[in-house]
Amino acid sequence: MSTQTPILAADKLSVRYGSFLALSDVTLSIKPNTIHSVIGPNGAGKTTLFHALTGRVRASSGQITLDGRDITHVSDDKRVPLGIARSFQVTSLFQNLNVRENLRLAAQGRNPLQALAPWRGVDPRDHALAVAGEVMERLELTHVSDRAAGELSHGQQRRLEVGMAVAAKPRLILLDEPTSGMGIDDVEAMKALIRNLGRDHTVLFIEHNMGIVMNISDTVTVMRAGRVLVEGPPAVVRDDPEVRRAYLGNMITGDIA
Amino acid sequence: MNRASLHFLLAALVAIALPLFMRSGTLASEVLIFAMAAAACNLLLGYTGLLSFGQGIFFGLGSYAAGLTLLHTSVPLALALVLSAITGAVVATGVGWLSIRRQGVYFVMLTLAFSQFFYFLAYTFKDITGGDNGLLNIPRPAIGPFSLGESWTYYAFVAVLFLLLFAALQRVASSTFGRTLLAVRDNEERARAIGFPVRNFKITAFAISGAVTGLAGALHALLIGVAPLSNIDYHMSESILIMTIIGGTGNLFASVLGAGFYVIVSDLLSSIWPRWLLLLGGLLIVVALFMQKGLWGLLERLVEALPMGRKSSINSSIEPPIQPESEGRGI
Repeated sequence: MSTQTPILAADKLSVRYGSFLALSDVTLSIKPNTIHSVIGPNGAGKTTLFHALTGRVRASSGQITLDGRDITHVSDDKRVPLGIARSFQVTSLFQNLNVRENLRLAAQGRNPLQALAPWRGVDPRDHALAVAGEVMERLELTHVSDRAAGELSHGQQRRLEVGMAVAAKPRLILLDEPTSGMGIDDVEAMKALIRNLGRDHTVLFIEHNMGIVMNISDTVTVMRAGRVLVEGPPAVVRDDPEVRRAYLGNMITGDIA
Repeated sequence: MNRASLHFLLAALVAIALPLFMRSGTLASEVLIFAMAAAACNLLLGYTGLLSFGQGIFFGLGSYAAGLTLLHTSVPLALALVLSAITGAVVATGVGWLSIRRQGVYFVMLTLAFSQFFYFLAYTFKDITGGDNGLLNIPRPAIGPFSLGESWTYYAFVAVLFLLLFAALQRVASSTFGRTLLAVRDNEERARAIGFPVRNFKITAFAISGAVTGLAGALHALLIGVAPLSNIDYHMSESILIMTIIGGTGNLFASVLGAGFYVIVSDLLSSIWPRWLLLLGGLLIVVALFMQKGLWGLLERLVEALPMGRKSSINSSIEPPIQPESEGRGI
């Protein structure tokens, strides 16, 4: 898979907040149908990288391409129909709406202008509703479909958070610390879920749990202080002396989140 | 029967009950006119989470648009009403487009600034608006074969329009559009992240709200034969907001309750005591402190307390919620 064209590529991407350089000359290329993880200590710029890739934060310099098309200046909501969807590190759901409606909205987000027609009702055979049903099945949330998202357990909320990205039927899914704050059982379920998503999506995820990262990633990118330190298959990254010195060292098996 | 038809039925009941219980057709018409304005305000406040102090602008401009058209031209009444709705929609689009560039407090301040701006505009251009005196002697032409001269026939006309608009707003609220507004209200950032151009949705909500409010303003000018400066005053925005909040922001019928309550109680209090606004202020404090779901919330609680009503409120919950953290977010 060495010469495949990347689905998403960042070229010398930099993001500057005032005088602080949060991301500096990051070059990254995500191969289609792989699971790619980004790791690094807190403050390494992982989340900023996500914000820049999804368009929530404007790149100060550099270029982002999706399938070779320059999307650097495409706004975040317009990147969704292009096939990029994300989940958030801090759960960000529609707390007062039920699970089905959360996912229906996420699915509708692929065709957002259709929802702008104020006379258009929600048909029971609605496509977005069908997608919501599928995603609930996949995430084992069907039994809580009529519950408000805010009433779910933490583990369920994290699954729904990932589901919101899945419902957009993206080709590329970005997951920002999908296991954050999870108990041990939920972590295993999430690991299985990400691996499962990797079968029909390209997945890029940030994670602190080294067990998951080393276990299911095809490629690992290690970041430090806004730069890419090393990139490669898990085995190579694990044994890289610089990575060991800089970051992993004593926590290669631990969960530091 | 689903919730929407029940609420429409309740609105129709109100429209039928008012003539039975009230002596003044003018006051009854006023209830329904403000019910439209409050329901339109609710679309912004309850559904989109936008606290707009601009409603008075649309209401006042609707009054002026209808007044000017009927005074200076001989177009039919229906067209004059359509014109005021369009005026409301166009101005609301502009005000919305500029105001939603900021969020929270700054958004509110912008709508407040626009409200002042349009008030002074109306005050300054006395030749057009009549300034302090208002636009006087607005005729109330017949609609087709029906003369609207008598106050109860005018009420019937207002009631028909009220029910049509109420149904239309219900349709908007339950559409994919309305449901997306609820999502925006709940979590704007996420709504944008899943692909919705949130600004377009907010502007559209403003346009619809402005159209209905403009029409309500026109009906009000026709009701009293004057388009007074007070219709575009900041105080009008405030009154419409208070009606909406007293009624409750959860659904559109709550706004009908709020408007009815505000108009009728104001009328009663003002005949008892000239400082009646003081009492209304006290009431608002009680609502803000103890009944945030407004009169509708109170009604719901009463119905639930009845042995019959309790059955319908039990649903879904199989296992107890672990994180009952579902309080609505602020502005």
